[in-house]
Amino acid sequence: MKLLTHNMLTSHVKGVTKGYPLLIKATEVKVNEVEFNPQFVSRMIPKLEWGALVQAAEELGHRQDLPGELVQDYEKNEDFLKKVHRVLLEVEVIEGCLQCPESGREFPISKGIPNMLLNEDEV
Amino acid sequence: MTWSRLQGELTGSKNTIKTSSPALGVTRKREDAMRGSDEQSREGEKSLVEFRSTGGERKEEIDKQRSGGQNGVSTMAQKRKRDEEEKERKVAAWDTGIEKTVEKGKACEEERTREEEAEGMLEEFIDCTHGAYVNGGGPVCDHTASRLEHRGASSSRKMDDIVKDFTEESQENVKTTGEKNQTLLTTCEDKPELLSCIPVSFRISCKCSGSLSRCLGAQEVSRVIGAGLSRLLGWKADLKNPQLEINVHLSDDYCLLGIPLTRLPLANRSYIKITGLRSTTAWAMASLAHIQPGFRVVDPMCGVGTILIEAAQEHKDACFLGVDIDEAQLQKASENIAFAELENRINLLKASSLVLPVPSATVDAVICDLPFGRKFGSRIDMAANLPLVLTEMERVLRPGGILVLLLSPQLSCLLKKLLIQYDTGPTSNPETKPQTGMQNCPSSSRSPSKKQTFQIHSGVKSSPSQETKLQHSLPFTVSSLKHQATFRVSLGAIDGLIHKYVKTDCCVFRDVMF
Repeated sequence: MKLLTHNMLTSHVKGVTKGYPLLIKATEVKVNEVEFNPQFVSRMIPKLEWGALVQAAEELGHRQDLPGELVQDYEKNEDFLKKVHRVLLEVEVIEGCLQCPESGREFPISKGIPNMLLNEDEV
Repeated sequence: MTWSRLQGELTGSKNTIKTSSPALGVTRKREDAMRGSDEQSREGEKSLVEFRSTGGERKEEIDKQRSGGQNGVSTMAQKRKRDEEEKERKVAAWDTGIEKTVEKGKACEEERTREEEAEGMLEEFIDCTHGAYVNGGGPVCDHTASRLEHRGASSSRKMDDIVKDFTEESQENVKTTGEKNQTLLTTCEDKPELLSCIPVSFRISCKCSGSLSRCLGAQEVSRVIGAGLSRLLGWKADLKNPQLEINVHLSDDYCLLGIPLTRLPLANRSYIKITGLRSTTAWAMASLAHIQPGFRVVDPMCGVGTILIEAAQEHKDACFLGVDIDEAQLQKASENIAFAELENRINLLKASSLVLPVPSATVDAVICDLPFGRKFGSRIDMAANLPLVLTEMERVLRPGGILVLLLSPQLSCLLKKLLIQYDTGPTSNPETKPQTGMQNCPSSSRSPSKKQTFQIHSGVKSSPSQETKLQHSLPFTVSSLKHQATFRVSLGAIDGLIHKYVKTDCCVFRDVMF
């Protein structure tokens, strides 16, 4: 699971009102080398929840020097875009789990794919 | 960009194209020589023009031609034909003068038709690009090979590219312009020896369907056409390795003759390992979603990921999320994505489409091939869950987001019932009692209607998280999905319907309700 995906996910357990962002508990993290596409990164940034991204990167210990606030004029700031690129696309959680911040319910991540199926009683 | 990709896919079958083009060239010259005079060639052009202007029928033929994968059809006919052809060649030795002329006329007609078909195919491609149209009727032919009737809206630019890239050399021979005809005519007259100097080996693959199949056998037709062609053009029938394949389809409504330009079906993809939905259909659906850079696209029932892969190949600056409930499917999707080297842009998630773990209004496009029912191996009862599935899809879409669905005809009907046309404006009556799926309203018309609002009838109480647009005190939910278009596609054995919706700004409804 990449952090780009994590940024889009929320807990949907019944009754939970604040299910975003999900906490990450990773047991296996991989860093891949992914071709840098500045257009892609700069297009994705406005859609991201920046705080959630930073928090997630922090949890994985891969935050490095990612700023806590979104930089102004990031489109032309290649340095910044590269940092975002790394965190969004290169860091990947292979094994671990996602946790609902409110209910504590854990969703396992296996082979890079999170399993967010709910049980009957949780829907 | 699309068609250069397609061209890449077709490089393997370039040989076929090259071998067919001289044949077409020869044929063209032949025809012109036979017509022999300016007048006749003008007539020929006229008939071509008429041909071009005939409507619906031709479009179907074009689509069939596009599929190119008629080879599945041909194998059966071939086997039958093998013995027949042997006998035929012996019989063909004798010729009476009268027969020759008669057959010449007939074969000429056939030849011209075939030529025109090939040309018409290209011309019609350009003609029928503008928008899409709903095919309510039209014969549904059962082909053994799956084919696509691609009616998705494509820009005329793309169509021009088809003419350029797809047919390469053959295009030059096939394109009809007045000057061309004249040039060819004069060249012919100067060099009559060209006419028969290039013998082409061919094979006829014939299929008869409809009531016609009861009185005419495919092998009979193949034999007649094959014999006529041989006699007329000096071409040799070769069943094992012909240079040119000619496909014939006779049905109750039309006679289709054509030459497949590729050996492999158009849907063949080098970058997909495990096939699911036919790639051409998947591509068509993705193109309907008008994906822009930076888009987040979700397929809530992604299966092996075909739609996402096709979309991702086309749109390099968007990101895609595939959701599926089935582990096996997700594993295959994962393999496919890795094989296509798209891991950085397509992500997978195991979840239920009934309860998507995605915040509301965060997705730019939802594209989905809904399971058709038990026949297609679906675990859930699709019909019962359709309202819920639809609600979730609508919820995650942002205002202005696009929804593209592929449904079976039955599900499509159900969908239309669920989204019933409702009177717009403040006179809308919120007190109507909800039925399990129906309301006493005039049912929506079949034709695509723009600027009409719809309602979803659902027995499920809206959950609190959907606070943006729903009143949970009301027994039904107001849908903000605006129907844009419907397209009918063939999926081989059955047809499917592609529905396209846009999510409107739902705040409008809230004010109206109060």
